[in-house]
Amino acid sequence: MMQPILKINLTNRNIEEYNPPQEWINDYLGGASLGARILYDDLNKELKPLSAEAPLLFIVGPLTGTLGPAVGRFVVCGKSPATGLWAESNCGGFWGPELRFCGYDGLWLVGRSDKRSFISILDNEIRINDAEQFWGLDTYEIQKSIRAEIGVSNAKVLSIGMAGENLVSYAGLFCDHGRTAGRTGLGAVLGSKNIKAIAVKGSGKVPIFDPDSFKELRSSSNRFLKNDLVTQVAHDLGTASVADYSDYLGIMPKKYYSKGLMKGSENLSGSAISETILVGTSACHGCVIACGRVVDTGDGIRRKGPEYETLVSFGAILLIQNVNDIVELNELCDRMGLDTISTGNVIGLAYKLYDNKIINRNDLDGLELKWGNADGAMKLISMISKRSGIGDLMANGSKSFASHFGVEEEAVQVNGLEAAGHDPRGASGMAIVYATSPRGACHNKSDYFMVDWGQTHESIGIELFPRQAGAEKSANVARHQDYRAIFDSLVVCFFSNIHFQTLADLTNQAMGTSYSTQDLMLIGERAWNLKRCINIRLGLTSENDTIPKAFLKPFKEGGSADYVPDFKNMMRAYYLARDWDPITGIPSFQKLNSLGLNIQATEFYP
Amino acid sequence: MNPKFPSEEWLNNFHNKLNSDEQYAKIAKNWEGDICVVLEPNHRLKERLVYYWDLWHGKCKRVAVLESEEEIDSAFVITSTYDNFSLLLEEKLDPIQAMLTRKLKVKGNLAILMRNVPVVLDFVRCAREVTDEIL
Repeated sequence: MMQPILKINLTNRNIEEYNPPQEWINDYLGGASLGARILYDDLNKELKPLSAEAPLLFIVGPLTGTLGPAVGRFVVCGKSPATGLWAESNCGGFWGPELRFCGYDGLWLVGRSDKRSFISILDNEIRINDAEQFWGLDTYEIQKSIRAEIGVSNAKVLSIGMAGENLVSYAGLFCDHGRTAGRTGLGAVLGSKNIKAIAVKGSGKVPIFDPDSFKELRSSSNRFLKNDLVTQVAHDLGTASVADYSDYLGIMPKKYYSKGLMKGSENLSGSAISETILVGTSACHGCVIACGRVVDTGDGIRRKGPEYETLVSFGAILLIQNVNDIVELNELCDRMGLDTISTGNVIGLAYKLYDNKIINRNDLDGLELKWGNADGAMKLISMISKRSGIGDLMANGSKSFASHFGVEEEAVQVNGLEAAGHDPRGASGMAIVYATSPRGACHNKSDYFMVDWGQTHESIGIELFPRQAGAEKSANVARHQDYRAIFDSLVVCFFSNIHFQTLADLTNQAMGTSYSTQDLMLIGERAWNLKRCINIRLGLTSENDTIPKAFLKPFKEGGSADYVPDFKNMMRAYYLARDWDPITGIPSFQKLNSLGLNIQATEFYP
Repeated sequence: MNPKFPSEEWLNNFHNKLNSDEQYAKIAKNWEGDICVVLEPNHRLKERLVYYWDLWHGKCKRVAVLESEEEIDSAFVITSTYDNFSLLLEEKLDPIQAMLTRKLKVKGNLAILMRNVPVVLDFVRCAREVTDEIL
């Protein structure tokens, strides 16, 4: 049932359709997992992420655009300029479904355009258009300009901002009302190809194997999802609904991961926003959750409200208590095309280095950085986007920035990707998640903090362990990663809190397959190990599976005081559960073969 | 020995516990709102059971056994099967896990709920501490 992937060589402007082998679709379903299989042969250690040769693959899943429960998403894959490792970044909004309406289930870009350009896909009419006049526009302005240029007022436009144009290593891709493929710097990869934006508008239908049965199940599962408490909380309070409890438990990091408490943290929550500046909600394609926030900070302008991660990275990390300041910082990042998690973290590191007198006003072009003050952060966002002054150093990420001043260990990152707002000292499973995610310190390959809270899935063996338990939970974390890898295959939002069996049924009715939930778990495990193999190819070893020193220093106060994860033993148990070699970090020969990864088994065990 | 759950004696004993527990008084000092718990019947519980607590600033002003949750327009209505509520009292089910996995249904202002999760947890702790025996 999969539609072709549109493959465009930007160097010679050759356009063709690519159909992945059916065996790969059976083995990986779609999304990031199938993307990893498609790009496997093209990703090697020598490939430079911002070179013309680097591939960039936009790909949907079999459920994208079907109006199922929270399934309006797509994913972008490639090699990350931030980490040099596997890159994938997932995005909501309307762009992914619209690509499917054009008759394509993916867009695979290779090469580099010799001129600044944008791509338009209007059904099967594909054009590479001049974009010289659009260079420098922000990610909201560009949507209007391109719609006007192509004369299609309801085209969906995915774009980069100034940060992507200037190859900032954590530049993202943006569409609609601030929906973002934020992590791993794939906005810079698109910028390196001289492509400002991709506009899509289609008139077709998404292919579904058994449309009548699917429609019935789709409706009942949407009703189920709408009545679910997690959905209702996300609808009423947004992703920041978790902030109050996260703060209480000491999971929300403060003052660049050095404090467990901060004055005014009660302002940094979905509940506080809902009672102050919230004026509406926004949803991705067909989604009944509508977790997006629309706020008015007093000037009568409706803006995107901050998500949990943004509240943490600009609020708690910088000790900024005023949520209106965070709305402003968030909007500037979105307009410039920056990932708010990495941006807030890199700026948090700058505040810390300034506080510790490792950098001074001369390094900062006269700027003063005071904890709790947003002015410095506003200026730094602009400098990073333009790569001006110290912004040029900061644009390469916190690892590189800290290394420049001889303090690499101060950067709270893993393999070059800045950590999200879920501190392993409060939810120990996140230590393994951050250390082993295929893309660095990321919370979106497994939101295990939710399992540590109690979001268990007993039918597939994902159970509850105390939130500060040690090695006994390692195998549980691995299972959760496999489970979430399926969401990245299909491509389904993590907030789609439906029964896993229902997800299997939806998949089967959409694809004409007969997968059991255990089959899906095996596909998830296969995908996880395939991405591991890609990263091994790209130079990753077991030494990369680590966490920053900040997480191994206990907080003195707050809900997670006096605790650090038993990291070494947790990882030992994790490797055992995964059947990965403890020295090399490579999945065992037997494991690879048992997952059908025979090519990789031969490659790593010649 | 505490009175057996469920019973009016158990509810009254829990009432006293809430008004004498220092930790609860501290954690719930800002809590304002009454709660109904509706227990759906099964083979162990013959009839639907509705318990009511009027909670205010770390104290419990009143408890009652109601005919229906509609008798009082309470701030929160929590619905559970009798078995799941029993597991909760027996410490075999975590309260947050119960909410996240649909074993407890909650109606009410979710902003207040999310801001006061520690209050909910301590309320459950108090309930557990007055429960020795379950029907």
